[in-house]
Amino acid sequence: MVGPIYIIAISLGTAFSLGFFKKANRNISFGLMFFAMAFVTFISGQWLYAFLSHQQETIQIFTAGFKPPFSISLQMGFHEAVFLTMINVLGLLSAIYLFDHLKEKGANMMMVFMLLFMGLNVVVMTRDIFNLFVFLEISSITLVGLIILEKKQDAISSGFKYLIASGIISQILLIGIIAAYYYGGSLFINDMVDSNLLFVKGGSVAVFLILIAVVLELKPFPANGWALDVYQSATPGIGAIVSGAVATTSLFILYKLLPIGGDAWLLPIGITGVISFLGSNFLGINQKNANRILGYSSIGQVGLLMIIMSLSKDLGDKFEFVFFSILISHYLAKAGLFWISGIINKDEIGQWNIIKNKPGLIVLTGVFMLTLLGLPPFPSFYGKWELIMNLAHSGNFTWIAIILLGSFFEAIYLLRWFGKTLMNNENSEELIVKFHKIFPAVISSFLILMFSFLTARWSGLMSVKYFIPFAIALLLFALDFLPVFIKNIMAIATVSWYSYVLIYQTYIPENDILRIIFGFIFLIGAILLLFPGFTFKGKRRGFYPLVILMFSGLAGLIEARTTFQFFFAWEMMTLASYLLIIRGKNAKKTSFSYILFSMAGAFMMFIGFGLAYFETGSISLNALADVLIYANWVYILVAVGFLVKIASLGVHIWLPDSYTEADDDVTPMISSILVKSGVFGLIILMLSMSLKNAASSNIPYILGWIGALSALIGNMLAIYQEDVKKLVAYSSIGIMGYILFGLSMMSHLGWLTAISYSIVHFLYKALLFLAVAGIIYRTKTRNIYEMGGLIKRMPLSFISVLIGIITLAGMPPLVGFAGKWMFYNAVILKGWYFQGAIVFFSGIVAFLYCFKLIHNIFLGPIKDNHRKLKETSVWWLIPQFVLIIGIMIISVYPKIILEPIGLYLSMYFPGEGLVWAGTTASTSLGYWDATQIMMVFAGMFGVIFIILFLMSRKVQVVEQFNIVFQAERPERPETTHYAHNMYAPYNKALGFLAAPFITNSWEFIYESFHAIGDQIRKFYTGNGQTYALHIVMYVVAFYLFINGGF
Amino acid sequence: MKIVYVLLGLFIIINYGLLQAGVLRRITARVGKRIGVPFYQPYIDLIKNYAIRSQFSHGVMFYLGPVFRLSGGVGIFLFMPLIFGNEIFSNYSMAGDLILIMYFMFIGMLGMALGAGEGGHPYSIIGITRGLSQFTTVEVPFTLAVISIAIQYQTLSITEIVAAQQGGIMHWTLMTNPLATGAAMLSFLGMMMYAPFNVVNAPQENPLGPPTEFHGTFLGMLQTNRVILGVMEAILFMNLFFGGATNWGILFIKAFLIYFYPVFVGAVFPRYRIDQSIRWFLYLPTALGILAIIFI
Amino acid sequence: MMEKLNIQNIGLTVGILVILVGLWGLLTQKNLIKIVIGFALFDTGTHILMVSIGYIKYRTAPILDEAVDIRNAAKLVVDPIPQALVLTAIVIGLGITALMLSYVLKMYQNKKSLEINNYKDLKW
Repeated sequence: MVGPIYIIAISLGTAFSLGFFKKANRNISFGLMFFAMAFVTFISGQWLYAFLSHQQETIQIFTAGFKPPFSISLQMGFHEAVFLTMINVLGLLSAIYLFDHLKEKGANMMMVFMLLFMGLNVVVMTRDIFNLFVFLEISSITLVGLIILEKKQDAISSGFKYLIASGIISQILLIGIIAAYYYGGSLFINDMVDSNLLFVKGGSVAVFLILIAVVLELKPFPANGWALDVYQSATPGIGAIVSGAVATTSLFILYKLLPIGGDAWLLPIGITGVISFLGSNFLGINQKNANRILGYSSIGQVGLLMIIMSLSKDLGDKFEFVFFSILISHYLAKAGLFWISGIINKDEIGQWNIIKNKPGLIVLTGVFMLTLLGLPPFPSFYGKWELIMNLAHSGNFTWIAIILLGSFFEAIYLLRWFGKTLMNNENSEELIVKFHKIFPAVISSFLILMFSFLTARWSGLMSVKYFIPFAIALLLFALDFLPVFIKNIMAIATVSWYSYVLIYQTYIPENDILRIIFGFIFLIGAILLLFPGFTFKGKRRGFYPLVILMFSGLAGLIEARTTFQFFFAWEMMTLASYLLIIRGKNAKKTSFSYILFSMAGAFMMFIGFGLAYFETGSISLNALADVLIYANWVYILVAVGFLVKIASLGVHIWLPDSYTEADDDVTPMISSILVKSGVFGLIILMLSMSLKNAASSNIPYILGWIGALSALIGNMLAIYQEDVKKLVAYSSIGIMGYILFGLSMMSHLGWLTAISYSIVHFLYKALLFLAVAGIIYRTKTRNIYEMGGLIKRMPLSFISVLIGIITLAGMPPLVGFAGKWMFYNAVILKGWYFQGAIVFFSGIVAFLYCFKLIHNIFLGPIKDNHRKLKETSVWWLIPQFVLIIGIMIISVYPKIILEPIGLYLSMYFPGEGLVWAGTTASTSLGYWDATQIMMVFAGMFGVIFIILFLMSRKVQVVEQFNIVFQAERPERPETTHYAHNMYAPYNKALGFLAAPFITNSWEFIYESFHAIGDQIRKFYTGNGQTYALHIVMYVVAFYLFINGGF
Repeated sequence: MKIVYVLLGLFIIINYGLLQAGVLRRITARVGKRIGVPFYQPYIDLIKNYAIRSQFSHGVMFYLGPVFRLSGGVGIFLFMPLIFGNEIFSNYSMAGDLILIMYFMFIGMLGMALGAGEGGHPYSIIGITRGLSQFTTVEVPFTLAVISIAIQYQTLSITEIVAAQQGGIMHWTLMTNPLATGAAMLSFLGMMMYAPFNVVNAPQENPLGPPTEFHGTFLGMLQTNRVILGVMEAILFMNLFFGGATNWGILFIKAFLIYFYPVFVGAVFPRYRIDQSIRWFLYLPTALGILAIIFI
Repeated sequence: MMEKLNIQNIGLTVGILVILVGLWGLLTQKNLIKIVIGFALFDTGTHILMVSIGYIKYRTAPILDEAVDIRNAAKLVVDPIPQALVLTAIVIGLGITALMLSYVLKMYQNKKSLEINNYKDLKW
């Protein structure tokens, strides 16, 4: 193996020899430098491999033939190897990225570049504190030298600020070192650790000075204006180095020197981390400059890593895993984003939509941002999971709250940025992507994916089968060049296979009714709803991998047996659905609120799972039942996550626009299938927590009220909508409230209603959205008042909508009535009369929008531009009629679903259920015979129809322009189509219920955040002196804090 | 065999309803100091309408609208037990309980709304939106009352509710649960759509609107339905609140009195605007309904 | 009193004073050159501090020549390490000062101003 000392030798040697090439070909110089750096990378990589593959011992290298403290010693251990590899890989990629800069500046600049990385390498390896200081100085001098690469005025002045700040910091460090030497007598770090400097008189000042200098090197908020300016102004290639290599090295210095301070320093470091993490991420919300945001985010992440470092005791043997998975993902992703920022070369994030037509760049940006956010399957997800869970295990809930809050702030700005990246682009400016600029980013994303797999395996939480969906998604992604038709077939085949394996091979033999039902909704539903995909032309880039991920996330939910698996699937499904929604043309804003609400909900759920783990020490989902002391907390926290998904009142504001703006075939998927994930979650939660825990018995009561009010408000809002998709979307809020209400009754009948209604809702909501989407597909408008009279053009769609609304409204003889009937019985038996009455009222309100839906689209006079419309495509109709058949079967014979569900539920709810006698179902209150009703109705309808038919055989069919069409203005049919603002009197009477006060309050909160952040960030005045003052004040404040001055 | 008796019952109800309608029209005319039509006028109207041969249709849904409407009315009849203790005239009430009847009313409304909608006349839709809007709040006190009596009798079966009220006037829901009866009777005003809640009908009082779009046989069916529906709603209230009927005579008397009550109110009061009536039902009648549940 | 007034303490005091003067200049002067001078003073103060710390009374410079015998050098010379360190530190300080001055030069070339308040384009 090549000794680590060669890292220095080769770097220095090459750097000096570059001087000879000054006049010669710059390509040769670059080649030489690159080769040297590659070799250095190889050396560090080789050591890393040695540590990973076999039990390589940590080695010490003594220079000048003496043992320390009489000489400088270098250490090569596992941690050193990791950090060196990280730094050198980044150096190599940066060299490629900065190829043209370096070439333009010539050999001198290459020398500086090499020396920077040599400096960082030595800083990592050295065990001599003065040596560390020297090489730290070398690194900062070379770094500042590199900043001049950019000739911009901003870059130069920020470089000057950087110099002043780092000058002060290095002086503090120097004084600290000399004081430490004075009191401790050694510069060898190991001796310093052993000598317990803190207990020597005056030694604590030395330790303080050294450690505060190291902390300041990490650019802690708020003494970090100088660093932010560099991030913002330097060429992004430098930003990548600062964030990826320099910050990483600084972290390692802290890691190396922290033992000097001993345990007493852990908490201060943690608090510094908290301030940095929360502060920078909070201020990041307000930023618009891409590189500056990255700077903020970088500092925030370093803060997080400081927190983790300070909690190393609590994390125990998981510390390394947590630390490295978060560090490495941050390092790769941040560098990648800086590189992309350099390619795009736009300051404002609003201008990033220039990459709209570059799918590759979008994918890269997405991968990096999602990695930063810690969403699955990216490595930081596992890190965050272990972090939170281990903290929970030791009861550190303050830390958990802080970490998740900061992560949420970070999510806000990163996701808003991502949304802006996908904004429509009117600007036709062409983006030129040079190969050497994109190459490092591609490598970096590739490394992220590889690392994802490694962390997942390393975490021990994931078995290989969880990677199958990713493999399929990747395959589909690789085949993205194929036309939609083929990819759609592949997607359907995949989901079919999946449902065959899960439902037919697993659940049916196990007779697991709950999982059969939801497997059916999630997967069979998916197959049906993929059919309309055939109508799409072109390639639909990126669509199918996401669809597969979303549905496998859903399948993962039913498969999950531990909270980790559940959370993983939940996040994956959320993420995929977010990305699917954001594909819609105008969905950027709304998908943002969707993902923010979802993430907030997911974080709550996360804390809840953590709390459960704290109490029971198990991550099994069944263990939720054993939570007793914190039952209420766990229950509420986890439930919030599900309530967001089913858009309960208060957290519903994301839903209408998201449904509306998503692609037309995505809307049915999310509205009829995806929301059921929330229902499923609630079922799992309630089965384990409500039944066995008397402690949390009040929560279902509250949930019941939430459900009832959601039902009311959702339906109230639906009737005023002029956008047809929005109308159906609001109705979803109402129906989900209804299901929530049913579940929270915690009775056999309530659950029977809720579960069976989940199936029914799936059937008719998919039917309605498909029909509506099929109509929009032809009419090209979503405004309901711009339609009309389409019954003659699209009779099949009319039948779908008719069946859909009859089911929705709960009219007999269709199966919707089953829901209403069981509901009455359940409510009266339960005794929740008033909530029940509200729900019934909202059910009747539903008639209003049902009628609006069918009338405004299909009845009344037809519009001029729709006269030649055809029936919608067969691909929209096939699933519709499959759904209609489904509705009809269970309408005639509801027993086939109700009886098994009832049997299943009687395991959990021994209370009163339905009693079946033939086709008659009865409770102690009432009875109902769907089959007989259907027969009576059909017979009666038939007879009356025949009578009419016999009596009116000579009926004359009149057309629109016939005189019999009264009050007709054929040239302007819209004037006689009473469609716009249809329920004006209702609005006048009860419109206050539909006032958007919840939306307004959320917006107020959001605006307040911005306003506060806007004021706080003003202390970054831009003046280098002020920044220096910040540093001095920070030191003073820190000193006071440590010594109890505060 | 069942079918024969069911048809017989239907025949009786239709005839009774026609006569009742004629009588009531005459009474209201007298209240307004007019002479009024002969009591058999509804028969004449019906026969005339069914006999008209010139017919126009605007399309399938227009054609089916009256079928739905009449199915709704007949359906309520079919699932309603008429005479207590009489198996013959209990119709198909074994197929469903009170909830079924409540929700069956919607079928007719939907059919009518769809049919009129395809007619394409804006006034039809104005009338329908008003009707639906008012209907949503009319149902609130009625629902509360139904819940109240379901709690009271611990059943949703109409037959059993009637059974529980046997044994004299003091056992009627009217006496045992006056609050629920009050709430329901106020919402009954809205259901029957006489004044003050008849602005719903305003568009058809112009020479326009749903019943004139529909003509001939169509109108005949709508009229038939109105007759059946009016009587059946009165019978529903009779069963729920006024002890039901053990023979046809009592049924006729009670139904007439119950039916007479909204007509009487209508003859005295002016009409509400639609937004006013929506709110009205959410105040006093709803309050009564809530009290009925609290004090059950 | 006189006991305290030895050369080491004088060195330490002077060092700290120079550091404070330098820091004061760094934080208050608006002229870029003066700021750099402030930094240089700060730097120098640190160096004085370092040398003073290594000083031991009645001993000589840690240079092995005829005045210092190699066998009992450890008893004759002051602590050599701070002296070695300070040499390095001086070099580094020089490097940083030079780099600062070259930055000042660049800034002046671009904007024709030495006022630090004129370089606040980046903020917040």
